Amino acid sequence: MEALIKPEFGLMFWTISIFILLVVLLSRTAWKPLIKTVEERECALRHDREAAEKARAGAEKIKAELDSRLAALKTEIDARLAQSREEGARERDRIIEHAAKNAAALLETARKEMETQKRELAGELRDRVAELALAAAEKVLLKHIDQQANQELVSRFLKELEAKDSKYKL
Amino acid sequence: MDLKAILEHHITDQIWTWFKLGSLNLPFSKHMLMMLIAAALLSVFFPLIIRSRGPALAPFRGMIEMIVLFLRDEVLSPNLGSKTAAYLPYFATLFFFILAMNLIGMAPYGATATGNLAVTGGLALTTFVLINFAGIREQGLISYLGHIVPKGVPFWLYPLLFPIELIGMLTKSFALCIRLFANMIAGHIVILSFIGLIFMFGAVSPALGLGVTAPLAVLLILFVSLLELFVAFLQAYIFTFLTAIFTGASMHPH
Repeated sequence: MEALIKPEFGLMFWTISIFILLVVLLSRTAWKPLIKTVEERECALRHDREAAEKARAGAEKIKAELDSRLAALKTEIDARLAQSREEGARERDRIIEHAAKNAAALLETARKEMETQKRELAGELRDRVAELALAAAEKVLLKHIDQQANQELVSRFLKELEAKDSKYKL
Repeated sequence: MDLKAILEHHITDQIWTWFKLGSLNLPFSKHMLMMLIAAALLSVFFPLIIRSRGPALAPFRGMIEMIVLFLRDEVLSPNLGSKTAAYLPYFATLFFFILAMNLIGMAPYGATATGNLAVTGGLALTTFVLINFAGIREQGLISYLGHIVPKGVPFWLYPLLFPIELIGMLTKSFALCIRLFANMIAGHIVILSFIGLIFMFGAVSPALGLGVTAPLAVLLILFVSLLELFVAFLQAYIFTFLTAIFTGASMHPH
């Protein structure tokens, strides 16, 4: 079994020379292209990731800008809404006040008109009554015989008048 | 044929012829052939697989790429830092060369070249050279020699520590050599012993050997073979990993 633990120096020489040749050969033919493709891929990946990160940063900036603009718009809308609501309330109050004033004025005019008409009618009635009384007195004076005849005359006249026009009906 | 002869036949190297190269006596042996096959497989198929763009070889490409990237990111980067790219071809070749030799040992008619002290010793020697080369290249010769003994040691301890550190440097490489050799050979010895058990019990009674020992031994051999498959990957990784750690330590002494 000595062969097992006794190194053969010729074989050691072969090992070293084959190994060194293999290192030279494989580093030219295998490892260089392998590392080249790997590094190209890593470079491409890094580039892609950087581009994606840049794009994301841009998108985030735009989003923040839009958000701030949206918030500004919202506050403006709120302010305008409150303002117009206030204006509307004021306008309503104004209209109601105006209408109440108008109604009061109208009522006043109507009452005045009624008052004048009533007065006119009363005057007319008084005139007509006076006229009637005068007419009746005239008839009484004309006949003037006796109390009964006068009475009769007046009632006959009144009946006559009633028959002629219903306006004089008492 | 006794067990010793069987073990020697299956585990030790068989030298077929010798080449004379000046004063060097170079053998052509079984392990040498296996090493050549491993080197040929690597140098033919790896460039093919890596340069291929088709989908048929994509899984193999992915596996190689994954291992190389693992070596780069997890093994070399923490130890070598910015010098990773320069040393990556060496470490990738080291890993796949050891792995190929380990796996060829698992194939039928194959032999484990890494189960030979001369082969592991050769690899450990290149590691030793690499450690010193990287340290000198990184720090300069004077600084490298000055940093062999750690900083902060009292001056009178230098005569003691300098030889110890030198021996430690040798032991690191020597341990690498022994670790790979022993790990690769142990599984084979265990498997051969289990096979030997069948014949030992068979000599007592053929029924005992065939009926009881053989199924048990085959199950155990299957288990040990799977373990060896794992160890083949593990030892290739450990050799590469330790080489990276030693190289990193010699490059950055603090």
